[in-house]
Amino acid sequence: MSAATKKQGEPTRGNKLGDMYRRYVSPSLSPRFPACLLHKRDIHSEKERGHVPEVRQGADSRKRPAELWRSGSKPQFWEISEKNPAMRGGCKNVQQRALVLVALVFLATAMILCVPVLKGSQDLKDDLGRPFPLPERTPERIVSMAPNVTEILFALGLGDRVAGVTRFCDYPPEARSIRRIGGLVDPNIEVIQSLDPGLVIAFRGNPLRLVDRIRKLGLPVFVLDIGQGLENLFPLIAKIGRVTRTEGRAGELIGGLKRRLESVDAAISEVVMRPKVFVLLYGQGLWTCGGESYVDDLISRAGGTNVASSLPKKWVLYKREQILEDDPDVIFILARSRKDFATGRDWLLRKARVESVAAVRSGKVFELDENAASRFGPRLVDVLDRMVRLLHPELFGEKL
Amino acid sequence: MSRKTGRRLFWVVSLAVCLAGFLLSVLTGPVKTSPGDLLRFIQSHDRVQAAIFIDLRLSRAVLAFLVGAALALSGAILQGYFRNPMADPFVVGVSSGASLGAVVAASLGFEAAAFGFSGQGLLAFISGLGIVSLVYVLSLRRGGFKVETILLTGIAAGALASALTSFFLFMRSDSYDQAVFWLLGSFQLAEWQQAATIAPWLVLCFVAAIWLARDMDLLALGDETAQALGCPVRRVRKAFLVMSALLAALSVAVSGVIGFVGLVVPHWVRILIGPGHRALFASSALAGGTFLLYCDLLARNLLAGELPIGVITAAVGAPFFLYLLHKKR
Repeated sequence: MSAATKKQGEPTRGNKLGDMYRRYVSPSLSPRFPACLLHKRDIHSEKERGHVPEVRQGADSRKRPAELWRSGSKPQFWEISEKNPAMRGGCKNVQQRALVLVALVFLATAMILCVPVLKGSQDLKDDLGRPFPLPERTPERIVSMAPNVTEILFALGLGDRVAGVTRFCDYPPEARSIRRIGGLVDPNIEVIQSLDPGLVIAFRGNPLRLVDRIRKLGLPVFVLDIGQGLENLFPLIAKIGRVTRTEGRAGELIGGLKRRLESVDAAISEVVMRPKVFVLLYGQGLWTCGGESYVDDLISRAGGTNVASSLPKKWVLYKREQILEDDPDVIFILARSRKDFATGRDWLLRKARVESVAAVRSGKVFELDENAASRFGPRLVDVLDRMVRLLHPELFGEKL
Repeated sequence: MSRKTGRRLFWVVSLAVCLAGFLLSVLTGPVKTSPGDLLRFIQSHDRVQAAIFIDLRLSRAVLAFLVGAALALSGAILQGYFRNPMADPFVVGVSSGASLGAVVAASLGFEAAAFGFSGQGLLAFISGLGIVSLVYVLSLRRGGFKVETILLTGIAAGALASALTSFFLFMRSDSYDQAVFWLLGSFQLAEWQQAATIAPWLVLCFVAAIWLARDMDLLALGDETAQALGCPVRRVRKAFLVMSALLAALSVAVSGVIGFVGLVVPHWVRILIGPGHRALFASSALAGGTFLLYCDLLARNLLAGELPIGVITAAVGAPFFLYLLHKKR
């Protein structure tokens, strides 16, 4: 107490060290340096990587270093005080010590920050941020818990390794003869367990509780997230390639898809007129895709504008007046079959009574394969190709 | 047949049926297993079979039994409490409150887990108990404590919570599929930890209910009479309400909303062994557990996929309830 109060009154050399601190350290770091180690965002990112750095904090760690240096009643070796024997050597000694201290702090920070980075390079993380031990070889039996995962596995040539699929996995046709594990939200854990898989690939559409339940049985579960745009497809394929140890084939697949995407981009770059597009999901009511959907991304890549693009949702129930007002130039109907498309189109014209819009008047109501478009897999590029041809037939007319 | 032999017969039969139910649960499932497999498994341990028999099937059967017992006990308590044969565990709003919590958790992506409960279960438990407390406080404020007030407040609060549930479901249509299994109940994700979490509370409430069963008998005579006969009416009522709400909220947190068990089973037991509450509580718990065990057996095996168990309990429970009503008139 005595040391602290005295210093406030007289201008001691303690301020000099404070100045030095400010001159040398604060330009590069915030004054609250120890606290910035534990910055909230940093902790989050560490947690996501599954590693929380252990930074031990004393009671004084919240204080600024300058305060810290003044706070103890007993003079410390670095404290500037007449009582401190370390000070008797003169100011130069203090400077050296301060520099060493700063260097040590830097070194410690670097070490702490390096540990998770090094660890992260060895382990694979799934999209929930959970570490996943990479298998040495391609697992013998793989269970896919989503249709698009099945599709990618087949595209990677792993069809014969797939031991279980959901009841929605109908592409490629070979997938239909594989043992069914149930649906997306109601797969049967018992069946999955009985297949004794070496790898279970789950999707964010599967309930997390269910994924956790499977994990608790000791099965290796890798969870993948769906992306908002087509560019997220490539990391998805790359991750599946890594986790099944077919990195090479995944690279080829990605390369091929990227080339096709680039050729579409090149063709579209000349386009000036972007037609307005309305997408109808065949089913009940005027369901369409909002701005968060990857179908929206497909439309803009294909050189069109989704009329529901401004709505921040994946799927939206659209209003009839809104369609009349938007006056779309092209209508796409996502349907499973020709028959569904015909019924959907009839419904749109008769019941929803939107025959006055431009698309209907010019006859630009087209079918899109719902099966391909609703799965975040390689066939989205096929859908994109079809969209480009339908939206900009003039591009292909010139070429042909 | 005297009442005593009747009761004994009831106990023996229910226990036998219950044990048979456990055995059947362990033996049946989408993966075909024979009794021989089970015997071989007991002799020599196999990892895949251990997971199927013990981790998946037995844990599920035990959890179904515990939840059934909790719901039936809670229903028996509340029917005595309200002196109303229509009362069930969810009449004071536990189910609608819990559903609201679960749906909110699902749409906000609240996924923290503790004690074997998922984030949904945790939030469901909290909001289920929350709404009961709210109902209790509201009905206390309105001129003393009346059974009818609690009943009506519970129904109103439940309706409000259901409206909010529908709103959240509508706003986040992508969580709808998951919510269905919650709203109709399912033991799909049963695990031992859940059973271990609810078992102590169930035992505690069971013992307390048996202890206070005499007071419940007195309450059947009316509050004033019970008071005159030396029963501390308000304290007993409070204890029973807390117990039934806790039991209902716990079972909802574990398995979602399972209707009709708490309503039908106590009636069924009352017909067979009479209205004395001590025996009624004990046998309701046993019968409720057994009933839900068999319902879960059906839910797992009836179709290729999994059926929500609420579908089965309602399909079995509703006709029975109608028959009961018809017979009374």
